[in-house]
Amino acid sequence: MSAASTTLPSVSLAARARWPWAAYGLLTPSAIFLLAFTYWPVLLVVLNSLTVTGFHGVAHWGLDNFGRLFADDHFGAAVRNNIVYAIGTIAPSLVLALGFALGLKDTTRFSSALRTAIALPMLIPLVAAASLFVFIFLPSAGLLDYYLGRFGLSETNWLGDPSLALGSIIAITIWKNTGYYMLFFLAGLAGIPQDLLDAAKIDGARPWQRFRHITLPLLGPTISFVLIVALLNVLTQVDHVIVMTQGGPSDSTSMLLFYIYQQAHQNYDVGLASAATVMSVGVLFALSVLSLRSLERGIHHEV
Amino acid sequence: MAAALLWVIPFAWMVVASLRPGDAGAADIASLLPAGPLGTGNFAEAWTSGHFPLWYGNTFVLCGGILAVQCVTVSLAGYAFARMRFPGRDWLFYAFLLQLMLVPPILIVPNLTTLVALHLYDTLAGVAAPYCASAFGVFLMRQTFRTIPAAYEEAALVDGASRLQIIWHVLLPLARPGLTAFAIVSVTSHWNEFLWPLMATSSPSTQVLTVGLASFTAGAEAGSEWGVIAAGTFFVAAPLLIAFVAFQRQFVSSFTFSGIK
Amino acid sequence: MRILQVATMAFGLMTGAAHAATELDLFFPVPVQGKLATEMQRLIEEFDKTHPDIHVTAVYTGSYDDTNLKTRAAIQAGKPPGAVIMSANFVREYAINEDAIPLDSIIAKSGETPAQFMEKFWPALRINAIEQGHVYGVPFQNSTPLMYYSVDAFKEVGLDPDHPPATWQEWADALRKLAKHDGDKTTRWGVMFPGTYDYLGWIVSGLAMANGGQYYNTGYGGEVYYNTPTTIGAVKLIDTMIHQWHVMPEGVTDANAVTTAFFQGRTAMMVLSTGSLSFVRENMKTPYKVAFLPRQFVNAAPIGGASLIIPRGNSPERQAAAWTLINWLTSPEIAGGWSRFTGYFAPRIAAYDLPEMKTYIAEHPDAKVALDQLAYARGWFSTYNVVGVRKALEDGVQAVLSGKATPEAAMAKAQAEADALMKPYVEQTALKLPH
Repeated sequence: MSAASTTLPSVSLAARARWPWAAYGLLTPSAIFLLAFTYWPVLLVVLNSLTVTGFHGVAHWGLDNFGRLFADDHFGAAVRNNIVYAIGTIAPSLVLALGFALGLKDTTRFSSALRTAIALPMLIPLVAAASLFVFIFLPSAGLLDYYLGRFGLSETNWLGDPSLALGSIIAITIWKNTGYYMLFFLAGLAGIPQDLLDAAKIDGARPWQRFRHITLPLLGPTISFVLIVALLNVLTQVDHVIVMTQGGPSDSTSMLLFYIYQQAHQNYDVGLASAATVMSVGVLFALSVLSLRSLERGIHHEV
Repeated sequence: MAAALLWVIPFAWMVVASLRPGDAGAADIASLLPAGPLGTGNFAEAWTSGHFPLWYGNTFVLCGGILAVQCVTVSLAGYAFARMRFPGRDWLFYAFLLQLMLVPPILIVPNLTTLVALHLYDTLAGVAAPYCASAFGVFLMRQTFRTIPAAYEEAALVDGASRLQIIWHVLLPLARPGLTAFAIVSVTSHWNEFLWPLMATSSPSTQVLTVGLASFTAGAEAGSEWGVIAAGTFFVAAPLLIAFVAFQRQFVSSFTFSGIK
Repeated sequence: MRILQVATMAFGLMTGAAHAATELDLFFPVPVQGKLATEMQRLIEEFDKTHPDIHVTAVYTGSYDDTNLKTRAAIQAGKPPGAVIMSANFVREYAINEDAIPLDSIIAKSGETPAQFMEKFWPALRINAIEQGHVYGVPFQNSTPLMYYSVDAFKEVGLDPDHPPATWQEWADALRKLAKHDGDKTTRWGVMFPGTYDYLGWIVSGLAMANGGQYYNTGYGGEVYYNTPTTIGAVKLIDTMIHQWHVMPEGVTDANAVTTAFFQGRTAMMVLSTGSLSFVRENMKTPYKVAFLPRQFVNAAPIGGASLIIPRGNSPERQAAAWTLINWLTSPEIAGGWSRFTGYFAPRIAAYDLPEMKTYIAEHPDAKVALDQLAYARGWFSTYNVVGVRKALEDGVQAVLSGKATPEAAMAKAQAEADALMKPYVEQTALKLPH
């Protein structure tokens, strides 16, 4: 039994919960939708991934789809890109978000204007952000090259050069998500008792020491929560790839979900798409179990 | 400070470009400083190129509908997990939270099949259905309910109130910050979603803003009228931007007072 | 008297209700924004007015690829549109997968043989409309790649704008004169063309055909010729333009960037679809002309554009209504009007006999060039699993564009990938022996 049970209120309420039916009744509305749109499709995907079909051929069971998946260079490229993308977006946007939150946690007119500015990108659709950035990255005529050109830099093909394209996609993601994470950090910082920090100050702790030994440990649960959200974003958002690069050039911006999308909707290869989905759900499952445990621990600190 | 400036540049360009009278080949399209006369021609053209009133309407209905259903499912389940004791509770909680990881975009193919079987393909209800349960919301509400002292409920229980009455009259008003935080997250994410609505709808009458915008900015064979695209993007983003600027303080404080810390 | 009027009105309403108009969706992609979509809506309104027993809704479905995706989804969902304006190179796959219906029997009802019907269209268009001897598509809007060039740039470097380069050798000479470098920076490129998916494969196929190649098997959907001297030669030409002559920018450029660069004078030439004629005409501030795609051995240009198909799953009434719509849309008058509006050429030969079309051609020499190139047009690349097979080539060429692979290695890899993608089909068709 997890530590959560200790937070249950008094006996009289717990006693009423002797009839579990009431609890199950409250869970039913959610459960219906979860069954239809989460658990059932997962089952279907697993079945499809194990079904081998050819052109006008008879279907049979087997692991051929997984064999083809691992032999597919495009899948390998998508996984590699996704890992680079994960590291490239999560670390900078978390650090930036925490930095912004620390700098802007006091509410003044000026800081709230800046907070708004940084949070704005989270409010616009990724597709809209993508069409904005298509222009910003336009070689030579676009916003970036236009101003870089004034410093004597020559035109750069930000989205068309395989060694730069993923970096450009990463830049958009950081721009888009940092404000969102900042809101969580602001909330987390507000929960740190000011007297604790004041006491440390009196004891002669320097700003960095206070941050290192008080703020950071107390932000632990927030950090792990934001980390989970960020991980999910990395694996579940590909709108910008679809609008901006279609995974190109030469697969340099293809990612797991984009690969699945492509197999399912451009190549009509349900078997391969399902096998890739099973793999990605597997990864998500492993990550979720790990992170949920750390998250639950973190929260019990607080409660 | 400098970073914050960097953050708004794309928006600044969006505004300037959308006000600059359209010339696909003008040399200064990238400039952030408006040169020459400004006009609203691009807005007019973007507005007439798309069906914005319809797209706004659909997006409002979609986001509002999802949120309304979610509030019910999420509060009930959140309460059960926060306050009640029953066999398999921890397992069920983990099973619920799994949805956090199994987002609809990954399950597009099977979910489309389900929609067709339920005759929900190409309807707004179909687009909304997979989101009606929200693990994120259940998690958030469980945390929020836990921060509310049990004394309030016990008083109501003594008065003979039913569980649903307690949730509705006692707990939900106290849990408003949590619900607000969840509403913000829910509405922004569904307002901005693209891939799933694109797949689940086909007729123009069910298109939402993001799908509409993509279909009119995606030119395959010819060049682009950047000013018009910028204006269209502005139309999509405007309602949320205005709402955020107007309610910024409330937004941030609900994040603070809800259970997410 | 009044009562009688009311009665007749009521009767009229009742019979009207009894003959409810057939409801049809027409999926249409428009490869340029806004204006064309509005024009298509106007056309459909006109059709609805003149055909009271059919009610068509025009559904704008984005790009060619989006349209394909949505058509598939709608068919699988059991809600197929009545007709679709489908990228012409997808028609074969729809036929192979039996997702579109053969039109032979509907054509026969109007007293024509399929062959007689197809004779009304330009010969090059028939290749993509017919699969295994049956008609599956009716050409609606068509294009070929054209070379657009700036007259001022030509004059500036002493080239004669009335004699654009016609061969690869002349092209190479002109490009090296036209490109302007300032130290490391290039102030004007010789030529640019889109290197993004879909466009790139189309242009490479044109160059391969101009190099004497076939590029793909027009009669069978399971063979492509990537790892052949003709295709490798075409890719080598592009590679040399970028990495030796420095007359074309490295990496992948999209169509928007190409047109923007051309309008701003940052490239002297561009290779782009005839479908962009109107857009360029409206936005290009300085004089420009167009010319055939240059040849190594033969003039050749792949067809592009779209055909009308009827997806499977439509009732006979809806099929008949869809056929009425298709006939109307491809009639010389409507097809000619659409051609003048868009810059695509009209697939119907008879459209060019109309007086308004003759005036248009006389007034717009660029449209005349596009029409003349039709004599050398070839079929458009189409296979089983066409998107994937096309992408295999494009990934290879993109690697060459970025200097990450040699043309030979890239094409060998592309061929292997394409063969693997077509294998399921090939095994069940060409390699399958009679029992």
